[in-house]
Amino acid sequence: MKNLVLSGVVATLLVFSGCSSKDPVVDAPAQEVEAPVAQEIQAVETETVSNEDSLVSSETNELSMGDLEAQMSSVYFDFDKFNIRSDMQDEISTSASIAKSTASAFSVKLEGNCDEWGSDEYNFALGLKRANAVKKALVAEGIDESRVAMVSYGESNPVCNEKTKDCWSKNRRVDFKLLP
Amino acid sequence: MKLFLSLLMLFSFSFAEDSTIEVIKRVDSLPSLAVEDSSISYDDTFKKRFFKSLVADMNVISIFNVDRHYRETHFNDTSVIVDNKDMKYVLRYKMFEDDNGALNVGIKLFNEDEIVLSKNYKVSRKNIYMFVSHAIAFDVNEYMGEPSVEWMKRKVIFSRIVAPKKSEIVIADYTLTYQHTIVNGGFNVFPKWASRAQNSFYYTALDTKTPTLKHVDIRTAKVKNIISSDGMMVCSDVSDDGKTLLLTMAKDGQPDVYSYNVNTNKYSRETRYNGIDVNAQFMSKNKIVFISNRLGYPNVFSKKIGSSEVEQMIYYGKSNSSCSAHGEYIVYKARESSNAFSSNTFNLHLISTKTDFIRRLTATGVNEFPRFSKDGDAIIFIKNYMAQSSIGIIRLKHNKNYLFPLKYGRVQSMDW
Repeated sequence: MKNLVLSGVVATLLVFSGCSSKDPVVDAPAQEVEAPVAQEIQAVETETVSNEDSLVSSETNELSMGDLEAQMSSVYFDFDKFNIRSDMQDEISTSASIAKSTASAFSVKLEGNCDEWGSDEYNFALGLKRANAVKKALVAEGIDESRVAMVSYGESNPVCNEKTKDCWSKNRRVDFKLLP
Repeated sequence: MKLFLSLLMLFSFSFAEDSTIEVIKRVDSLPSLAVEDSSISYDDTFKKRFFKSLVADMNVISIFNVDRHYRETHFNDTSVIVDNKDMKYVLRYKMFEDDNGALNVGIKLFNEDEIVLSKNYKVSRKNIYMFVSHAIAFDVNEYMGEPSVEWMKRKVIFSRIVAPKKSEIVIADYTLTYQHTIVNGGFNVFPKWASRAQNSFYYTALDTKTPTLKHVDIRTAKVKNIISSDGMMVCSDVSDDGKTLLLTMAKDGQPDVYSYNVNTNKYSRETRYNGIDVNAQFMSKNKIVFISNRLGYPNVFSKKIGSSEVEQMIYYGKSNSSCSAHGEYIVYKARESSNAFSSNTFNLHLISTKTDFIRRLTATGVNEFPRFSKDGDAIIFIKNYMAQSSIGIIRLKHNKNYLFPLKYGRVQSMDW
């Protein structure tokens, strides 16, 4: 009986040695199993959006950043929609006036979010269109476009994890964050 | 009558190779196969685990009626166990641990008491036993002269959300039984294999200042930045030769499909609709399909690269928000219920651009992330049903679905 050694599978999958998975794995030499394992890649966090940590710096404007954010309430959206609901206009106007007055030293980052019912990429795009709709509303209220940045988190930044209608509607939102 | 018959025959032959037609065939006429364990090392739990994995793999190759009874015997017995006498095929295996702790597996395939195939396998550690099991299934399938199931040996790469704005990228076998976390910490999503060889991949980093597409060589663990875009950046597909990427970028908050040349680092905008255009997939070198909400709801459209003409591909489903293409075939996810939130059902459907048929591939639950295998023989997807998530494999030509339960939380994106 011919003695064959399975190592290609290990090589391709575990070891990521790059040996082509096209070859019949059973024919690969045994040594390849010992190929160096690629290290895991540790992603470096390069940015921390303002949070409680900013209190540490004890500067007055840093301290107020969190407070100001808290005053700028999230904008909520209907299912699969990215137009601003009429009941959300007042919230946006309030946030816009904060951004123009007390928060005028900061730029505004709009974070678009979705409920879990979309699909991977489509949901990210939907979150972005929501952020963009809020951006346009802010610009219409007189805020300089260059002060507003946008990002979409799709369904990956939920504030509520229950499987209820109420909960999903809380996740379809745009949050305001301030950046120094 | 003759004319009618020949027309009928012509009709049936012309659709003979169409995957959108469900073929109910052979189920009862498949040859029977039993699996016998002759292992001398390892405890019962591990022995049963390997047995289950092997039975599952033998099922997935879809050419046997696999007997699920666990039976033990001696490896060198010349005939099969009495209970298995009526089986057309018997697959006997022996696992043993050598001095280095490596897992060795020997197999014998019996066809009516005659050994027709025997092989030995070896992996360095027993916790990667599933690759031996996949390799045995691949070899038995090969021996039986069936079309290759090369995809069984391919790796799945996926991202999962571990906390709000925290994710990890994982490489796994096709059943997601073996999992190796390759990118840890941070907020990294949308992994995509960079080449057929699966030795490098792209992903989107979201905790950088603007969303950035990165490339990782898994042999050297070297990471390099490719391109970034305000608001959104996703690598949706990679061409067969690995030279062209289909990206979703959002210059000025406007998500559109772009093609990107890896060699020249130049991109060109492929869609210009003022709504959402995402999820582009190559159908051929010059033709793509993508998801757009240009009709007021997400649906699948196609266009030629460089041309502005857009064609609607799907006329069924209220919300078709994700798709995967292979040649003339498109598999897409459709929302089935009219109410957005009452017992949502998302099913996968298959169409061919050459016929008008639609084949429904799943029947219950929320089915998502459909991805064709590279050869188009199988589709992998995630199924959520009754509070249980599973990974599914659809064998198009065999009209069979197989599910492997998943133990952990939410998959964010997946590539095969």
